[in-house]
Amino acid sequence: MKKTVAILFSALLAGTAWAYVDDALSFAYEAAHPYVKQGFSVREDAWGGDLGVADRQAVQAQLFKGNEYWFCLGTDVKRAVLSVNIYDSKGKLVNSESLKPGRMTAVRIVPERTGSYYAIVTVHKSPEERTGWALVYAYR
Amino acid sequence: MAEKAPDSIDLSAFPAQSIDDVVVPVPSEVFNVLDKLGNPKWRAEISENLGKQTGNRSQVALLLGNVIAEGFIAVEAEDPEKVKEIGRRVLTLSKAINVEKAVLERSKSITDKADVKDWHAVRREFDGALQDVKGAMQELGDDDLAQLVSVGGWIRGTHVLTSIVSKNYTSESAELLHQPALLDFFSNKLASLSNRRLSNEPLVQRIRKLLKAIRPLIGNGDGSSIPHEHVKRIHQLTGETVEAITIKGS
Repeated sequence: MKKTVAILFSALLAGTAWAYVDDALSFAYEAAHPYVKQGFSVREDAWGGDLGVADRQAVQAQLFKGNEYWFCLGTDVKRAVLSVNIYDSKGKLVNSESLKPGRMTAVRIVPERTGSYYAIVTVHKSPEERTGWALVYAYR
Repeated sequence: MAEKAPDSIDLSAFPAQSIDDVVVPVPSEVFNVLDKLGNPKWRAEISENLGKQTGNRSQVALLLGNVIAEGFIAVEAEDPEKVKEIGRRVLTLSKAINVEKAVLERSKSITDKADVKDWHAVRREFDGALQDVKGAMQELGDDDLAQLVSVGGWIRGTHVLTSIVSKNYTSESAELLHQPALLDFFSNKLASLSNRRLSNEPLVQRIRKLLKAIRPLIGNGDGSSIPHEHVKRIHQLTGETVEAITIKGS
């Protein structure tokens, strides 16, 4: 699941299933754009895949207390509704602020503890059987 | 309509394959927190020795990660000459494992931005260099070596982190070392290297032991306190391994 952007680009050239993610990636970056203006640095990596309606995917991340993060999710599928929420290692919701689910959405987290967190990506609604998604995160 | 996110979920309900590998933080994320914790004497943390390369690919990959981590320390110390030296060293080491092309532009950019002391930009370039090197290795089908670059960077990063935390110990700063998922991730990766020869390298075996030794020292649950003694022990263990990577080579 985890791929660097470089791999994503090479996959695009090769025309593999990763094209799903490549198409979604620009939307994830667009979702992150407002936070760059606020001084956040966006990671050059991205994570992604494709999910059916009502499917969920977890992405585990090591986050540090003292930093502030925005996880930004996007899809190229019009009218798709996706959400991303952050849970701690005990499964407790720790979102500090979240945008409305949609084609592009984001969630902010200010970790109270350093440790493992889970970004849960859910496809709520989509006209497609499989919906490609991409997730990036920004920190400051 | 999307339902409201549940306040809690059962993470064990996720099938193993739907929980991705751990997102390995870029070094900037850790240095970002250290910036906020005070003003460590970064110059004292810079290593004069950027290591010898033995021609052994696993050692070169580990050393490359190590040197990139050194780049972050030089950035924190705001030492342009050291940053430029490290930028050149990254290029040399990348050449030794056939990923020079991937970091050529980064290396130039590191030099240019160090000249004008744009430290934030240099830090971003080192983050990018790490990703580019790993991406290029994965493209070449050398995922094993890419993991060693990450691990090499993590070991040097942890070595300097423990030095700084130890010098002005607080339980809050020590909490930065609580990285169980990351340690487990690296341990699993090193335990399942597809290249048997690489897997049997003495240096790789040594790092497996290091990760195993550190794991009980970094706290059990999120938020648990990491005593000063543990920080010092991790510093010692990572220091010995950094020496093996940079000097002894195996």
